[in-house]
Amino acid sequence: MLQQVLALIIIAFFLARLFWQKQKKQINANEFIFWLIFWLLAAAAIITLKWIDKIVDKLGFSGSGIDILLYVAIIILFYLIFRLRLRLVKIEKDITKIVRSIAIKK
Amino acid sequence: MKTFCIIPAYNEEKNISQVIAKVKPLVDEIVIVDDGSIDKTYELAKSAGITILHHIINRGQGAALATGNQYALANGAGIIIHFDADGQFLAEEIKDVIAPLRSGQADIVFGSRFLGKKSNMPRFKKYVIIPLAHLANRIIIGKTLTDPQSGFRALTRTGAKKIKIEQDGMAHNSEIIFQAFNNKLRITEVPITVIYHNFGQRLGGGLKIIKDLILARLIN
Repeated sequence: MLQQVLALIIIAFFLARLFWQKQKKQINANEFIFWLIFWLLAAAAIITLKWIDKIVDKLGFSGSGIDILLYVAIIILFYLIFRLRLRLVKIEKDITKIVRSIAIKK
Repeated sequence: MKTFCIIPAYNEEKNISQVIAKVKPLVDEIVIVDDGSIDKTYELAKSAGITILHHIINRGQGAALATGNQYALANGAGIIIHFDADGQFLAEEIKDVIAPLRSGQADIVFGSRFLGKKSNMPRFKKYVIIPLAHLANRIIIGKTLTDPQSGFRALTRTGAKKIKIEQDGMAHNSEIIFQAFNNKLRITEVPITVIYHNFGQRLGGGLKIIKDLILARLIN
């Protein structure tokens, strides 16, 4: 129970930061909505942890709900890294385009 | 047909003047693409009174070749030659490489180190790196030539228009082979000599090429 409360406090802190960044216009709308949903889902998962335990058990996993959440978190992390890499490739290509156009114009 | 020789150069102050002097009389226009060198490459090339395109930051050999191609096509090139700035290719072999283009038998010619002419290729390269490069080409792009990583090549105007070099790094060698097959260009290989002053692409570089090729296949 205490752990859940601690987790919720941490999430509340990140949510507060998120709103604060939004107010200062440091992040755009898409990014804001993505993280808002992300943290709200995380909070929902923690509140309904007992319920998730039951579902996970019924699905036949040996671990408890929190284990499964950890697995899901790692999968999401890998996906985000992949997206980041794609974005980097695109940025690299754009830089090359700029450098090329400067080289040819001179 | 106007012949353009594109020479990407990155920190090649030791060899650039000599390479320019040897190649200049053999082609209509020589284009050095200085890829953000931090030595005197740019100044030396400039003093030779030739066309020099300057990448303000280093973008890789593939990116430099693509810049050269774009310039050459915009300036009426009939034949485009890709040559190295480190002095490992022989300028007198340019005529052999472009001969199949002049006679209209090919759209793209690759110089090959494995068609009879003698090169002093380091053993590790010959028996380990090159076979691995063949394997990577076959698996990732589905095609390979007698020389899997040749940097000495020539293209007709039509050929050059169809090849879009997207690989900024060293993976352009495989990429060009792939696109040549994909666009059904008429491909010829010509024996060339390579004089090794340094080892060139090491195993680590080779692995980076493989990574780039796989990433490109995933994205495109």
